[in-house]
Amino acid sequence: MAGPTLIPAGDFRTSYAEDTTVFPTRTGRNAMIAGIVLICFAPHVLGEYSLSLLIQIGIFGIAALGLNIVVGFTGQISIGHAAFFGFGAFTSAYLSNRFGIPVFFCIPLAGVVTAAVGLVFGLPAARLKGLYLAIATLAAQYILLDFFARAEWFTGGSVPASAEPFSIFGYSLRGDKKYFYVVLAYVVVCYLLVTNLIRSRDGRALIAVRDHYLSAEIMGINLTKYRTLSFGLAAFFAGVGGALYAHYNQVVSNEGFGIDRSIIFLAMIIIGGLGSIMGTLMGTAFMVLLPESMEWLSVALRDSPIDQFLGLKNNIAFLREMAIGIIIIIFLVFEPDGLAHRWRQIKAYWKLYPFSH
Amino acid sequence: MNMKALLSSAALAAMLGGMSAITPATAQTPIPLGNLVDYSGPTSDVGTPYGQGIVDTYAWINKSGGINKTKVNLDTVDYGYQVPRAIAQYKKWSGADKVAAILGWGTADTEALTGFLAEDKIPDISASYAAALSDPTGAGGKAKPAPYNFFYGPSYSDAVRGMLTWAADDWKAKGKPGKPKFVHMGANHPYPNAPKAAGEAMAAELGFELLPPIVFALTPGDYSAQCLTLKSSGANYAYLGNTAGSNISVLNACKAAGVDVQFLGNVWGMDENAAKAAGAAANGVVFPLRTAVAWGGDAPGMKTLMEISKMSDAAGTVYRPVHYIAGVCSALYTREAVEWAAKNGGATGENVKKGFYQKKDWVPAGMEGVCNPSTFTEKDHRGTLKVDLYRMKITGATDAPLNDLVKNGAIKLEKVKTIDLPRKAEWLGW
Repeated sequence: MAGPTLIPAGDFRTSYAEDTTVFPTRTGRNAMIAGIVLICFAPHVLGEYSLSLLIQIGIFGIAALGLNIVVGFTGQISIGHAAFFGFGAFTSAYLSNRFGIPVFFCIPLAGVVTAAVGLVFGLPAARLKGLYLAIATLAAQYILLDFFARAEWFTGGSVPASAEPFSIFGYSLRGDKKYFYVVLAYVVVCYLLVTNLIRSRDGRALIAVRDHYLSAEIMGINLTKYRTLSFGLAAFFAGVGGALYAHYNQVVSNEGFGIDRSIIFLAMIIIGGLGSIMGTLMGTAFMVLLPESMEWLSVALRDSPIDQFLGLKNNIAFLREMAIGIIIIIFLVFEPDGLAHRWRQIKAYWKLYPFSH
Repeated sequence: MNMKALLSSAALAAMLGGMSAITPATAQTPIPLGNLVDYSGPTSDVGTPYGQGIVDTYAWINKSGGINKTKVNLDTVDYGYQVPRAIAQYKKWSGADKVAAILGWGTADTEALTGFLAEDKIPDISASYAAALSDPTGAGGKAKPAPYNFFYGPSYSDAVRGMLTWAADDWKAKGKPGKPKFVHMGANHPYPNAPKAAGEAMAAELGFELLPPIVFALTPGDYSAQCLTLKSSGANYAYLGNTAGSNISVLNACKAAGVDVQFLGNVWGMDENAAKAAGAAANGVVFPLRTAVAWGGDAPGMKTLMEISKMSDAAGTVYRPVHYIAGVCSALYTREAVEWAAKNGGATGENVKKGFYQKKDWVPAGMEGVCNPSTFTEKDHRGTLKVDLYRMKITGATDAPLNDLVKNGAIKLEKVKTIDLPRKAEWLGW
């Protein structure tokens, strides 16, 4: 039975390639490919509502992946990620509205422009650490937000800007069912890119900066370069995510890119697992589905005996918000290493079932 | 450890399963309506009574048999005044269980949805009275076409025009020398900004001197700086573009700073709750009332209104502010449009829109003397151009329950004037 699909009892890696492989087992790789193929059928099976949740998970997952590069892999901190997400959204809408560039090209372009902005705001990271850096990124958040509110030529000011539906060479994709594939393609490409980035020389340098910046510097890693680069990379993915978000909603309002959204991005990667690529997607799914399931619960609670007994009425809406906060706290207390860690434990448990020790 | 892993597997499975469970089971018969409310956001001060008015109205309609003998399934969703959440909610409402109409809320979200509403053919009866939503064909040239948008009451712009018309007369009547000075105050947000251009153009036309606008946020805060600016600028008439909550902060701060200015509120800028909270600082604020009477007023429709109010207040003791009554009116106009649609080919969005065009000087049944007569046509969604101006009179301490304060006259809505604006084509859409 023991075929090549199982990891042998010992660690028998004999080459560097084996050491940095993406999928340690063939089953793992096949399962991933099967999973992607399977999810391609989602638009035909799922309702519009479930589909819109999947799209949101994909969009926010890409942006959160960027944040994980800064926070999880490079060990920096950023509490201004939502502003870059917003910048990407406005840039893509602006490029397509102002210059008539097809949306297909606007999305990666928005990523590049946002990356440039990210590099600028990443400069303080070369000199600042810890709480000081946190405040510097907070400043970035507010500078960009204020820019959105005032730069009427770029964002439309306080009036929400409109964004074209996704199009390529005059053929436009309308509706969630089609847009789902756009987001899916971007998710696959972005996650593959980052997975490979981390395996590369630059990726290892980022991790070295995180683990011990002094040792990294002694080994010849240019700290300034890699710290700033990590911000640029993070902004790139935030920009791509934001652009996808803009063309999904077809409306970009300067609300929704505030500090609260930045904190939610942080929550996504902390809950998913810092420095874990698959964990980012899990954490995003958690943070997207949690308010929705709470909403569902609060609807179920409305006019129920519990509601009538406690006289909750409109306060259910507030209870929902509080419940979301409490669940996150409980989660962090009992699951400090994130969903990725728990997932590994579940896999280990079933792998050895029923003979686990 | 084993137990823990087992439990986590189960939890993960439940989480994934939860997604499919969220999709609600669909019942065939009821007419689905969406109700977008702000109970928790920056405009929740006025959003709560308005939303409650709609909820109570449909509870009352369902109790008395529904629309055309079909129950209404009113899906009330609190979106916290956030455009992205409104759009996410709209996607649900325009999906598989498409709603026949939406009772909307804010300006930013309603304007953002206008294009989608036209595409999906879903009427939106909003609580935003932005003039841009009143031009169904775009003929006015100032706004994009908004064929599926409706609202009950004078638009924000027309309300400002009405108030300025009164202010110009007021200035003359007082016999003061020189030009009166007008200033627009409000947050940098689509809702307070909506009537800014119209107000400033009208003010200039009427011979006001225009001062640079003063910005204050939609949430309550310390606005002493704004009041000092107001004082030093020597403004005579100040338009408050925000909702009551933040306006109270301004009124209080300006009273403390000793600013002598006539405040002009918009329809959401003043109400009985706000007057109670602001106390003497709210005295003298002039604002438009959307309904012919306030709570407890002398009108045949008041009886129906009291019955509707009992849906959430069985004892019938609660005082309902002006926004509640406006909510009831909006809900009842929608009810009659849906009813017409149900009888003429089915309660679809397209038919509901036609339902709005069926009557002239339309007052919903049972609301005589409460809701002001409105007329909607395919080319003009300005239901009414009548602006009823009232002045808030505070004559005593406001720490008693609202019901008593209104009864003993400590808080009083005093009729100032009714301005009947001409239905000018060049005013359509801005």
